[in-house]
Amino acid sequence: MQLPIKFRVLEILSDGKCHWNSDIVCLLQSEYSDLKGDYGRDSANFDIIELASNGLIMSVESKVDEEGTYKKGFMMHKYVLTDVGKDRCVYAGVYKGGD
Amino acid sequence: MDIESLKVNEYKKKVKKGYMWAIFSALLWGIWYIPGTVIWTLNPFDTMSIDIGLSHGDTAALIVTAILISAFSAAMIIITLGLWNLVTGKFKEIKRTAVQFKSCSKWFILAAVCGGPLAIFGSYLAMGFVGGAFAAVASLLFPVVSSIVANRWYGEKITRRAAIGIFLIIIGGVSIYIGGMVTEMMAEGVRWLGYAGGAMAALGFGLEGAVAGKGIDLAEPDAGLYVRFLAEATMWWFIIIPILLILGFPMLTYALAVFEPLTLLVLVFIGLSFGYCYAACYKAFPLIGVGRGQGVANLYGLCAVIFILLFMGDFPGWTLLVGGALCLIGSTVMYSENVSEEAIRV
Repeated sequence: MQLPIKFRVLEILSDGKCHWNSDIVCLLQSEYSDLKGDYGRDSANFDIIELASNGLIMSVESKVDEEGTYKKGFMMHKYVLTDVGKDRCVYAGVYKGGD
Repeated sequence: MDIESLKVNEYKKKVKKGYMWAIFSALLWGIWYIPGTVIWTLNPFDTMSIDIGLSHGDTAALIVTAILISAFSAAMIIITLGLWNLVTGKFKEIKRTAVQFKSCSKWFILAAVCGGPLAIFGSYLAMGFVGGAFAAVASLLFPVVSSIVANRWYGEKITRRAAIGIFLIIIGGVSIYIGGMVTEMMAEGVRWLGYAGGAMAALGFGLEGAVAGKGIDLAEPDAGLYVRFLAEATMWWFIIIPILLILGFPMLTYALAVFEPLTLLVLVFIGLSFGYCYAACYKAFPLIGVGRGQGVANLYGLCAVIFILLFMGDFPGWTLLVGGALCLIGSTVMYSENVSEEAIRV
């Protein structure tokens, strides 16, 4: 059984590295059959936004997608797991142990 | 526009969206008290309370009827939110969320215990025993419960502005409460079980918010909410109603008599108003936090009293105007708070 989407986002970020939201969304779309298309992309991205709103992850770098490689004119964020996020990752059993 | 301004704008948009969901929730929640009150006067629920009243006494009759209404309410919400999740393609995520019992779905099941048999049942008791206006305003204090519990339990931040806003809403709520209560008391006399139901609703909705907040940061809101209502419907239909059947109450006879056009229509309205009120509320939580989300959703008290006035002609008096104004000022104070903070959690 696959993990819920937010669990998987936290698992991806628990390697301790920074990841662009576009990369996370692309990875999610390749793994989850119900996240295909533009709607699935925006839905997955909104899950990431909610995780940031809750303070589980935070943006460390931002840029505007000028070329439209992900979504033209859209703000892209590079996210990292926060301490709260790390605790929640451990709690959810998806922590990979990256520092 | 530079990147910093774009970031601020993006954050403002996100917070605005959170408050928008909370306001939707307030409107739909306020509307719920109309079908929630009307359902008591329709078959089979009116005959049920009369029949069981004759055999088991009035108190037992109203409790058992409120249980059947709550059970049908949960079932209708399963249907209406099921359609929503079908259209938005959330069923796979619901399944993935439900199986994460240890870290996620157990909180929604606990939220169902607080929200269902405590809050929603308490609200139906208050509607049946005292009246819709009272039931609506009785639970206005619930953000106090949720904000304090969320703050003490898992450190959700309550900014000074948010605290002032919540305080004003509560003062407004109390003012509406007193107005509604005086009117209801003068009209019908005190029914203690109805007032206890009102208190159960305030406590239940507040606890539910805080408990759900514990799991909602790991779950997709629609998926989490559906798990919560599946748990509530299971509790009513597979635990509480079978217990009442064993105790000798003819629950199935009345449950099967529900297929009357008007009754079904009112039940559909219950499912639509309360189901989507919850959906909007759960969408607001991750964006603006449980305390603030419920603080704004608390405007439902004012909405409910206005809707009841419009549809049923029940006017609670000047305390409504004072209370309503305070609720509006309170939510404006919360809405206008500084949105430059990135996270809502300390």
